[in-house]
Amino acid sequence: MSIDTVTLFFALLAIALQVAVVALMLSAAAGRSVRSAVVDTIGPIALWAAAAIATVCMAGSLYLSEVAKFTPCKLCWYQRIAMYSSAFLLVIAAARRDGAVRRFVGPLVVIGGLISGYHVLLERFPHLESGACDPANPCSLIWFEKFGYITIPVMALTGFAGVIAALLIHRAWAGVGSPASSPSQESRHG
Amino acid sequence: MANAPQPAPKSRRTLIVAVVSAVLVVALGVVAVVATRKDSSSSDPTDVSAVSIETGDVTVTGAELVRPPDAPAIDPAIGAKAPALNGLGFDGSPVSITPGERPTIVMFVAHWCPHCQREVPQVVKWLAAGVAKGVDMKAVATSTDAKLPNYPPSSWLAGEGFTVPTLVDSTESTAASAYGLDAFPYFVAVDAKGYVTKRMAGELTEAQFTDLVAAAKA
Repeated sequence: MSIDTVTLFFALLAIALQVAVVALMLSAAAGRSVRSAVVDTIGPIALWAAAAIATVCMAGSLYLSEVAKFTPCKLCWYQRIAMYSSAFLLVIAAARRDGAVRRFVGPLVVIGGLISGYHVLLERFPHLESGACDPANPCSLIWFEKFGYITIPVMALTGFAGVIAALLIHRAWAGVGSPASSPSQESRHG
Repeated sequence: MANAPQPAPKSRRTLIVAVVSAVLVVALGVVAVVATRKDSSSSDPTDVSAVSIETGDVTVTGAELVRPPDAPAIDPAIGAKAPALNGLGFDGSPVSITPGERPTIVMFVAHWCPHCQREVPQVVKWLAAGVAKGVDMKAVATSTDAKLPNYPPSSWLAGEGFTVPTLVDSTESTAASAYGLDAFPYFVAVDAKGYVTKRMAGELTEAQFTDLVAAAKA
């Protein structure tokens, strides 16, 4: 399978996730009945969804660096730290049905998302980094671009947004059946 | 137990969402394979080896210039004799950068560098306006990598109307190393006797480029 095929697949996944995140945001702004229906439907699998998103992002980033040989820049490494650790924590938490993981993964993915957002800005406005390119590997280098806007940092930002959305849904769902104020109570929810 | 049994319709909806998501992922995979299979049947657009040369061996004559200092300081390469570079152009014809014949500015660009992509049209405009009158302008296309964006450099520079004689650097960036390159784009002003008078990196303003021209003429 060619690198172009795989990068196109990741780009399509990113677009699908962007559509899903926007739809979830719209449902959050919609009426209570719509919101409840979304939370009730996705809540039970929200932790697994977050784990799946983070794991696919991790696998994708490993593919891009180890197979496609796209050298990660400094900002890529910071995002990797956030995404890789989130993936491990979320998979374990999903298997244990431990909703308390939100408290640990939440800050990680928010920080990772902020770094991704800055990285996207750097790609569009290279002057934010400096007026010259580092021959080694500048963060403003766009390794590939699909559909006119999907780049590696855009995909990472989408992944972080997807994980955040899934965790918020899980939080809302976990609060439906019980106050879920302590990890031990939350751990009963999947 | 806090996780009370959900009513059947809710469980069904959850299952449907999970299944639809999985099917969507598989479908997107199929779309990616089919879409790129069409592309692979056509010729590789990056394969321009038949019509142009993007990298080539470079011969360096003379001592290499040291890299510019990290902190603002006097550039130790000022006053040093610039090395001569001999190699090929994009069309395979010989290109030489021979300091000591006329005031010269040597510009190093990388096709994937966004700053170079912005600077080249500016340089084209300044040259057309006669800003570099009396100075020979030479370029080196370096750090060339088919895997990176905006490849090949020959197409990029031709598309920008960049007619400056351009030497293609080796895959090891021999020419760039010989001139102490530390960032793109990179400019070296060499006077008529072949000595370095100024080095600058990054996107230049017209005033900075004019200073560079004056330094080469000094």
